This record gives sequence, structure tokens and C-alpha cells, in this order.
Amino acid sequence: MWTNKQTRLRLFLLLLTAAGASWTAHAQTTSTTDSVTNRRDPYALVLTVGGGLSYYPAFIGVPPDVDQVAINRSGIPATVRLMWHPDHRLRIGLESGLTPLYRYRVSAAGEQARVAVSTIPVLVVFSMPLAWLSGTERSLARRLSVSGGTGAYIIRSDLSYLGDVNASRLSIGWMAAGAYTQPIGRRFRIATELKWYSITATSDAVFTLQLQAVWRAFTW
Amino acid sequence: MKPFYYLLVGGLSWLLLQACREQYEAPIPYEFSGQTGSGRFTAPVRQAMEGVYTVSDGVGEFGAQVALKWTYVLNGADTTHYLSIFSGNEAGFFNLENDRSVDSLVVRGYWRKLVNTDTGLARLALRTRRNGELQRFTGTLAVGDTLVLEGSYGTGNANPDQPLTLTYNRPLNPRPFAILAHRSGGRTSDLLSVSENSLNMIRLASRLGATGIEIDIKFTKDGVPILYHDNLLNLRLIQKNGLEGPVEEYTYQQLNTLVRLVNGEKIPTLEEALETVLTSTTLNFVWLDTKYDGPMDRVQAIQQRFRQRAIASRRDLRIVIGLPTTQAADAYRALANKENTPVLSELDTAITRSLDARIWAPRWTLGPQIEQVRAMQAEGRTVFVWTLDEPKFIEQFIQESNFDGILSNYSPLVAYYHYVDQ
Repeated sequence: MWTNKQTRLRLFLLLLTAAGASWTAHAQTTSTTDSVTNRRDPYALVLTVGGGLSYYPAFIGVPPDVDQVAINRSGIPATVRLMWHPDHRLRIGLESGLTPLYRYRVSAAGEQARVAVSTIPVLVVFSMPLAWLSGTERSLARRLSVSGGTGAYIIRSDLSYLGDVNASRLSIGWMAAGAYTQPIGRRFRIATELKWYSITATSDAVFTLQLQAVWRAFTW
Repeated sequence: MKPFYYLLVGGLSWLLLQACREQYEAPIPYEFSGQTGSGRFTAPVRQAMEGVYTVSDGVGEFGAQVALKWTYVLNGADTTHYLSIFSGNEAGFFNLENDRSVDSLVVRGYWRKLVNTDTGLARLALRTRRNGELQRFTGTLAVGDTLVLEGSYGTGNANPDQPLTLTYNRPLNPRPFAILAHRSGGRTSDLLSVSENSLNMIRLASRLGATGIEIDIKFTKDGVPILYHDNLLNLRLIQKNGLEGPVEEYTYQQLNTLVRLVNGEKIPTLEEALETVLTSTTLNFVWLDTKYDGPMDRVQAIQQRFRQRAIASRRDLRIVIGLPTTQAADAYRALANKENTPVLSELDTAITRSLDARIWAPRWTLGPQIEQVRAMQAEGRTVFVWTLDEPKFIEQFIQESNFDGILSNYSPLVAYYHYVDQ
């Protein structure tokens, strides 16, 4: 659709400017903005632990000249996240965990070779409920949130073929996620989150769908 | 307002993803026949053709003059000849083979510029200008005749439709000069059709103008010397396969089975590389850049074995071990027997003298260093400079006739400036 990168960049900047202007206008017409109120609400540290399924949609480069190729793109990821919930809607925190990316098994020269690739993200995460888009505290948008983050990924590679090699490397990368959170108590919530990890150096990307336990661990 | 915001978020996400996906490619638009021999381009014709040509049609794309040189690769007893044309414009070069489908002296192939992704097809017919008129070249030049290559070039896969005319001007500069190609011929990142430090790149090096190559030596976990530049397996050099980490953590069999270089080649061993140089190319210089810490005896043994083979086959081939660091120099000093082990020192002149290295190779950013270079040459040493890719300095260094050779990622550019120098 777009003819070149420059055109895309211009459109991106135009949309960004429009978004900024629109957001500013929206904030100015709302009388009860959270960050300028005189009374500061309590802050909280919220711990999230989750697990679920992952799916690796990106290209997997199985070497040529091998037989009996078996590829597994799914896995069981685990995530732990610690977020600071201030008295406004932009939250910040750290996320880590372990996410399998893919595994494959091949036969080469009569020997089985197994390769498993996984990642440990260490990310700074920003999160915000969608309430700013629509309205009241009880609305669905209040329970829906979007998150984005960036940071480091430790990519682990485990090879078993005529000996074992367990190697790792670092890469920068980013993540984006959307979550729905259901309150089940004063301090506990259950959430489901769809997340996208993107790892730059190795051109890896993975979706995860997780069920998460959210615990408001500390409030002040 | 809601739909607008959702649309906005979606649009921004899509644009961000699109912006991250820019990929550069320069696929070769021509498939070589690979037929052996040189067809109607007999040895006298090839010899007559080599020279500096004035460009009349095509100046904007390839500059005012170009240098033509024939090269060949060997496959057993078979020889395949190629015509290279070196341009001073953006490290441009032509890679051409004789066209056997026509009953005349015609070459066809592709052109490429290494500093960008520009490429295209080309077809040129050899003629002679006699009394102002172009005629078919019969193989002999009469007094007053001038060779002309006339034809066309195109962009990408499009049929060549832009006129290109090259008129013979003068012979190539005959001064001995080492045109050394980095990473066995060129970098993978310059989007060549073959991968750096591969056997295919070694076979291509001469067609890129090189008279010699530099190759990067590392050891596998089980002690096999291989050609690989970086410390890590990474997507800059290899196809995606899930393997990460230092190349030294993998055995040769693991790398040989599971790893392919970006353009599909296997990582070659040092022995395979030297075998290819010796038996398939006309390259006369190999610089073994030691990219490892540790003893040098295994590399020395291979270097000496191929040196003996080169002597036995009366091949003009020097294989030297590069010493880029003081650790490498110490490893060389620790060798029990240094006889017949030529080394190239990238260190300062004092260390170079203490090692009795016959070749000194300072970094080009240190400047011309005219006094030191002259002094080292006066002591019988050869002086190369590395890794020089800046056209302005390549031209300057060649015109000053200071160095005996230049190591470059853009060997076509070094070849151009050397061959057109008067």
C-alpha cells in the first residue's frame, strides 16, 4: 500500500500528532483528571504471576539436508510481573519469566539432533487501563488494559547432537499486550492476557495467552 | 469517538510493524551458464581487450572511464573465463561471461554497485572502430583500429535498454599492486550473492578485482580451524537455525550439519578454503587473520602444507599468518620452528621488526605514514593498509604509490583506481 519508508514515517508522525492533540483536548475538557487532584490516592505494588500457552509464528530456519524434521511451535510460558500502580492510570513495572519459542528435531547422518530455543525477558513494562477511552470506573474499559514494554531478552539455545551445547545471548526487544482483569476480592484479581514478544537480534517473535493471578501485595 | 481511537491505535501499531520490516536485497538478475572455456574470446582477444576504456554512453551510471580485466576459475581441468569491468562510481562492477548463443564476440551478465542495491543486466558486443566505422572484431587489430564494446544495460530484471559504449583508451596500469579482498572477497552485508568467508566467495574474489584475500580463522570446540568472522553465531552471518552463542562452543560436525551461512553455504574449514584457493583460483595471496586466542601450531602446519603444495604445483601463492594482537604475536613467538612461516604484523613497527615479519599492515586510519612506510620498505618489507573502503583515500593512497597493497571490502573500487592510475 505504501510506496516507501519515508511515506510511512510521515503518516506515522501525522497520526501521532493527531493522537496527541486529541488526547490533550480530551484531558482539558475532563474536570476530574486523576493526576491534578489535590488528594493523592494510595499507591500499590501489584504482583502478577501467570502461565498459559505460547505460539511461535515466525520463520524457523531448519537446516537443509536433514531428514525426519519435526517442529514444535507451541510451549508453556510463565510470567512474573511487579507493577507500581500509582494514583493515575499509567503504571510501570518489571516483567520476567520463561517463554519457550520453538523446538525442532531432525535426523542427520543417522543421529538425532534436537534444538530448543527459549527466552527470559527482562523488561520495563508500562500499562494503562482503557478507561481513558470511555468513561466510568465500572466500565468494561476499566478492566481492559494495554501494556507495552522494552528491555533485554536472554535467548537460550539448547542443542543435543553429538554432544550437548547450552548457549545463550542477549538481545534488545519489546513487548505489547492486552489484558482483561476480573476482580475477585479486595486484593486479588484474575486476569487473562494476550501478549506479543518481539526479539530483535534473533528475529524471534512469540504470542502467549496466559491466565494470571494478580495480587495487590502492598499498598501505602 | 471510540472508533476513532481504536482505529488510531490499530493504525499506529500497523505502521510501526511495517516500519520495522524494511529489508534490503540485491538479487543477481542474471544466471550464469557456467560453461567452461572462453568461446570465441581466445587468449589473444582477451589480452587485447584488457585495458582502460572511455565511457561515452552510460557516463552517468558508471563514470567517465572503466577498467576491463579477464579472470578465470578452475574446476579440475576445466577453466571458465569471466570479464570484469570496474567502475569508480559507487564501487560498481560488471560480471560477464561470453554469450555462446550468438555468432559473434558478445558478453552478457550483470552489473552491481556495492555501496547500494543497484544492479541490472548488461550485454556488450566487441567491435573495432576502423576509419570511424564500427565493424565486427575478427581477432586482429590493424594499426589505427580501436576496440569498442557496445551494447546496453538495464535496471533490475528489466531487459537492457540503456545504451552503453566503452572505447579502448590505454593498457591497464602494470605496476605490481596487491588488491586484497576482505573476508575472502566481500562482506555478506554488502548483499553479494555469496556469503563472506565461504568457498563460493573465494571463487568469486578474482571477478571482484582481488589478487588476494583475507580470511578469518576461528577454532571449533574440537579444534578444527574454520572460516568465521564474528564471535557469535548470529543472523548477520548465518541463516536462522536456533543456535546461539560463541562459535567455539560447537564442534565442527555440529556446525557442518546444522549451520548454513546466509546464502546457504556451509562454514568452510581452513583446509577447504586453501584447497579452493590453490586449485580453483588465480589468487596469489592469502592473509590468515587469526581471530582466536591460543596456540598457532595447527594453523602453521596447514599453512606450511599448502605452501609446499603451491611450490610443487609451481603456483605463485603466498599464505601468511596475520598477527593482529600482541597475544597473536606471543603465540607466534611460542612456535618451536618459525621457518617457512611468513607472518603479517598489524602491530607497530618496533614489534613488526622484533617479529621479523616480512609484511607490515597498519590500519588505514593512521594515515599514509610515509616515513615509516618508506623505512619498512627499505628494509625489504611489504606494506599493506587495511581495511580501506573510502574512495577518496583509496584513490589518494594509490596515486601516492606509498603502499604495496590495500585490503578493502570494495575490491572492485581498489581495482578500478589501481588499473586506471597512470
